[in-house]
Parts: sequence; structure tokens; C-alpha cells
Amino acid sequence: MQRKDFLQEPVKHIKINGKLTVDQLIQQFKNSGSFGAGRLSTACDIYERMARDDECTIFLALAGAVVPAGMRSLIADLIRERLIDVVVSTGANMVHDAIEALGGHHYKGHWLVDDYMLYKYHIYRIYDVFVPEEDFTKLDYRLAEMFGEIAAGNNGKSLSSNEFAWELGKRLNDSNSILRAAYEAKTPIFLPAVRDSEFGFIHWLHASRKNCRNPLVVDAFKDVPEIVNICKRSPKNGMIVIGGGVPRNTVQSAALACKKGMDYAIIITMDRPEPGGLSGSTLTETVSWGKVKSAADKVMIISDAMIVFPIIVASVIERLGEDFKRIPYLKRRDFQAVGGT
Amino acid sequence: MGEKARVKQKFCGNCGNHNAYNYPDKIFCSRRFSDNKNPIVQTLWCCEEWNPSSQECYCVEEAMKNKSSK
Repeated sequence: MQRKDFLQEPVKHIKINGKLTVDQLIQQFKNSGSFGAGRLSTACDIYERMARDDECTIFLALAGAVVPAGMRSLIADLIRERLIDVVVSTGANMVHDAIEALGGHHYKGHWLVDDYMLYKYHIYRIYDVFVPEEDFTKLDYRLAEMFGEIAAGNNGKSLSSNEFAWELGKRLNDSNSILRAAYEAKTPIFLPAVRDSEFGFIHWLHASRKNCRNPLVVDAFKDVPEIVNICKRSPKNGMIVIGGGVPRNTVQSAALACKKGMDYAIIITMDRPEPGGLSGSTLTETVSWGKVKSAADKVMIISDAMIVFPIIVASVIERLGEDFKRIPYLKRRDFQAVGGT
Repeated sequence: MGEKARVKQKFCGNCGNHNAYNYPDKIFCSRRFSDNKNPIVQTLWCCEEWNPSSQECYCVEEAMKNKSSK
């Protein structure tokens, strides 16, 4: 490289007026190209390219309490609009989705509060979001009954976490529900750490009932061939990671298992790489494993996903326009395979 | 802890098996659920399986206030 190669594109200063749309603001961020603003505009460009790429399957890896914080309908809408093809989530986010589907709520609270008083009032705190215990209790009661129904309907056969999530979605009558949207759109939704959530306690309730001779069996290993097969059949794969943890690694490992590596990657996290945890690991570190291609279109944004992800989505749907319709590659391929045109 | 547990009144709302259901008047009893009995009971009810909760909550106090105001 020569000296002049480092000095190609001057920073253009951000201009704001009262009529800017979300995407116009993102374009101003792109003009600056700097720090978090530059990365945010790059993420919007990458998601737009993923959405327009006919050969790409888009994975959403979901960790952190974004559903109780208010991102539930947004994710359900992305599933229905086919802007997400596969969801890999913590069990907890789907627990909170089901709480609202059954009539419960999350409440705006505060982080400065007497937590022992909350305990005595049977209220749980997720930073500045409050959840009344009775909404969990009603979920436990209803879902323990559903687990019994699902187990009876499957005659002792084990389910993958995706089959389990669809069984729940089939029974939740709420159009804003992520589980319901995934069931209706037949969008795979994997919960690789399903027992590390209220679902684990609900299973214990269900299985410990006196007349339960046939408890529900969810087999996490069944997920592996399902998700690897999706990656394998897709000419290209892209991932949007919120948080990280088990969902991020589940998606990345599928790309590794089929020896492909992700073609697109957007990671939104607040974690740092220095302690060696996966959630903060950089995309270049991920390249070393073969989980993301070296030449992939990729960016990592160090920010709060509750701020950043809705902005990315707003910018991208503005770019795509109202008439844009996306049919996921694998659905198109399966449709053609059965004689569709 | 033992001293406090001894003075607890024998109500479902003071039992270790209780969770809020319709706070503060009704609770969900995980013990009754596993025994295939109706798990939704009054906070101020009690059964022979009662065992004291190891931590405090406001269920009984508030259920009593509700009862006296009716």
C-alpha cells in the first residue's frame, strides 16, 4: 500500500433537518463513515444485500432479553414478511413471547428500585422491565397442560426444538407472537438451550404430575442435522446476531459443519473480545474457525440492540419499498421441486 | 429463620409451594398441581401439606386487607 491509498475518502459531515427519514439519517451516517455511525450504516447495507440476494438464507440469532423489552412484534413481522428465514433463540425469549400470547404483559419499570420489595410483591425485574409473577404462573399452568397434549399427540416420539416451537406456536392464538408467526410461515425456530429457561421448569411441572406416564421429550441433538441441512442446501447463508451466546454459536457452527462459512454477518453486541467469550468474539476471530468466510460481507456493532436493530430494520424496509416481496431460497426450491413454477 | 417460620400463620400465601396467580387473593400451588388437584386456591386457605415459605412476601397481608375491605 502506498500513502495515498490510506487517504481516499474524506469524512463528509452529518447534516440533519426536520424531514429526514430513518434511511436518510443512515445515509448521513454513511457519509461520515465513522465509529458506530459508520458501522450502523454498513449493517443496513449488508442486510439490504442479504434481503435482495435470491440465494441467501437469513438466520436471526437471538439472545438477551429483547422480547420482554419490546422487540416481539418486530421479529414476528420480519418472519411474516420473509425477511428472516430461520430463527435461533434462547428459550427465555420465547417464554416471554408466550407470556404475552397468553395475555400477560411486561411493564416499564426502573433500575433503581428496592428489589427485595419487588420480591415480596412477586414482581421480577429485567433491568428496567418488570414482570408480575402471576404472568409466569399462568404460563406455567397453561404450558404444562400443552406439554401433556403435545406429548400425547406424538406418542412418546422425541421432537427437535424446532418441532417443539411449532407445536407451541400452533396453540398460541396471537398474531403478534413470534412462535405463532414462525408456525404459520413454517419458519424454522430452533431453541438449542431450551431447558435453560422457564420451559425447563414447566417441563418439570408437567413430568412430575402423578398421572404423567409419557412426558414430552425434546431432543436438542435432533436440531443439528436440521439446521446443518438448511445451511448445506442454501447456496449462501447470512446471519444477524443479537447478543450472541448459544444462538450465535448454533448458527455459526451449522455453517462450519457444512464447510461453507457465513457469506453475510451482522453482529450487535455489547460484549468484549478480551475475556474470550463467544458473544464478544470478533468476526475475524470467527473467520479463523471457518464459521464466517474471510470474504464475507460483515460488520460488528458495539451497541444496545434495542436501539440499533429497529433502526436497521426501518432503514432496510424503506430501501426495499412496499412492493418488495421476498421468497426464501429454500421455499422457492422446495416449491419448484414439487412441480411449481 | 426458624423463629420467623414458627410464627407464620398457616395460610397458602405463607406456604413454600405458592406462586402468585391472581395477586393477592389467589395463588398457584405446585404441590396440588403435581397431585392432579385444582392448583388455584385462595391465599388465605390452607391444607395439611402446608410448609412455611423460607422468605417473606406480601400475599397474606394484602389478601387480608382485601378481605377486610369487602
